[in-house]
Amino acid sequence: MITVRNLHKSFGSLEVLKGVDCEIREGEVVCVIGPSGSGKSTFLRCLNRLEEITSGEVIVFDTNIADPKADLNAIRTEVGMVFQRFNLFPHKTVLDNITLAPQKVRRTDKAQAEANARELLRKVGLSDKANAYPNQLSGGQQQRVAIARALAMNPKVLLFDEPTSALDPEMVGEVLDVMKQLAKEGMTMVVVTHEMGFAREVGDRVFFMDQGYIMEEGVPEQIFANPQNERTQNFLSKVL
Amino acid sequence: MFADIRWDALQEYFPLFLKGILMTAEITVISVAIGVVLGLFAGMGRISHNPIVRLIPNIYVGFFRGTPLFVQILLIHFAVLPAIFGKSPAAMVSGIVALSLNAGAYIAEIFRAGIQSIDRGQMEAARSLGLSYSQSMFHIILPQAVRRMLPPLGNEAIMLLKDSSLLAAISLPEVTYYAKLMAGKTYLAWEPYLTIALMYLVLTLLLARLVKFLERKYGTV
Repeated sequence: MITVRNLHKSFGSLEVLKGVDCEIREGEVVCVIGPSGSGKSTFLRCLNRLEEITSGEVIVFDTNIADPKADLNAIRTEVGMVFQRFNLFPHKTVLDNITLAPQKVRRTDKAQAEANARELLRKVGLSDKANAYPNQLSGGQQQRVAIARALAMNPKVLLFDEPTSALDPEMVGEVLDVMKQLAKEGMTMVVVTHEMGFAREVGDRVFFMDQGYIMEEGVPEQIFANPQNERTQNFLSKVL
Repeated sequence: MFADIRWDALQEYFPLFLKGILMTAEITVISVAIGVVLGLFAGMGRISHNPIVRLIPNIYVGFFRGTPLFVQILLIHFAVLPAIFGKSPAAMVSGIVALSLNAGAYIAEIFRAGIQSIDRGQMEAARSLGLSYSQSMFHIILPQAVRRMLPPLGNEAIMLLKDSSLLAAISLPEVTYYAKLMAGKTYLAWEPYLTIALMYLVLTLLLARLVKFLERKYGTV
């Protein structure tokens, strides 16, 4: 579904990704773990080219999005993204946050878009918040709305950029529960996270990133119980 | 001093002052409206990543912020517009062109600052949903930016209202023009100038009220 070959990304003279190769297959949940500054978020943001790609290939459903001529808007309708800071639109109601893109991009009519939005809100447990504004919601509720907003486009893959890092601890669970539900339904997901429990339980594969490389990848049991790379061992000994 | 006020003269000229202040208001409203459109495009141009797209608005804003409005009015009325149309333009045309261009340059900066004050994540979220740059700008960034721009935009409108008095220099029949006319004919000074000062004050206070009201209604979210 997504193939990354020799991906490099530099910010000025700072090289953040130094050659990343990987494959994301349909229906799998890939969790990306690693220390701060290892390039996890940058890697994720290259998958829908929110970051310009310095060199290498990122092939998303047969299109190399590193190509300057790639139709990014079309690709992005199929690649949903959930941000650490939610990034809901504060001037729009929850319902309008969810229905905007389907109406403007997919040309779904308003009634249909709203019906879909209400269904998604039910799914994330926020049926009663359709007419609320984002600032009237808790962090956990905002993040669940953000997930519903991404799902409204019916994406083939969802990218999560540390979706629980900005949440109060008691709200982490409600967001992870929604993500687990999605995983169970077969959604392809790439999740940058510090929640090792989630990676272990829900991930089909885990990438350990450090210093701009994927240092080690494998199934969670192997990565967490029997890491091969010294840096992985070192990192896990600190966070587990 | 005030015992000597020539009420009779004032009464005679007052209908002209009313006509003039209406012209002042009209010129201001039209120029602010055109200035907002110019400012929107120039402001968006100035934040473009393309240096060629940035160049023209940068020159425009630089010139109109860096030279006196009075000089701009004279230049446009006596040089630029006659050169373009081959004859002297109506004062009202020159007045609107000069004030709009001047307002547009300042409003461009208000737009630029307003747009840049919106968190980067808003654009990223909109783009990640597949919205184009202009759709994201129009539906997500500008509606939020405009709320933050209301106070400086109100300031700009008040400045423009007051600065329209400079158009008396090209004989545009706004209120200051009539005040000068009365002063010249009657050799009075207090009567015309204090009167129109109060008229300007009433308009600027009303405008400030309007901005306050809009701010409360559409205040920052």
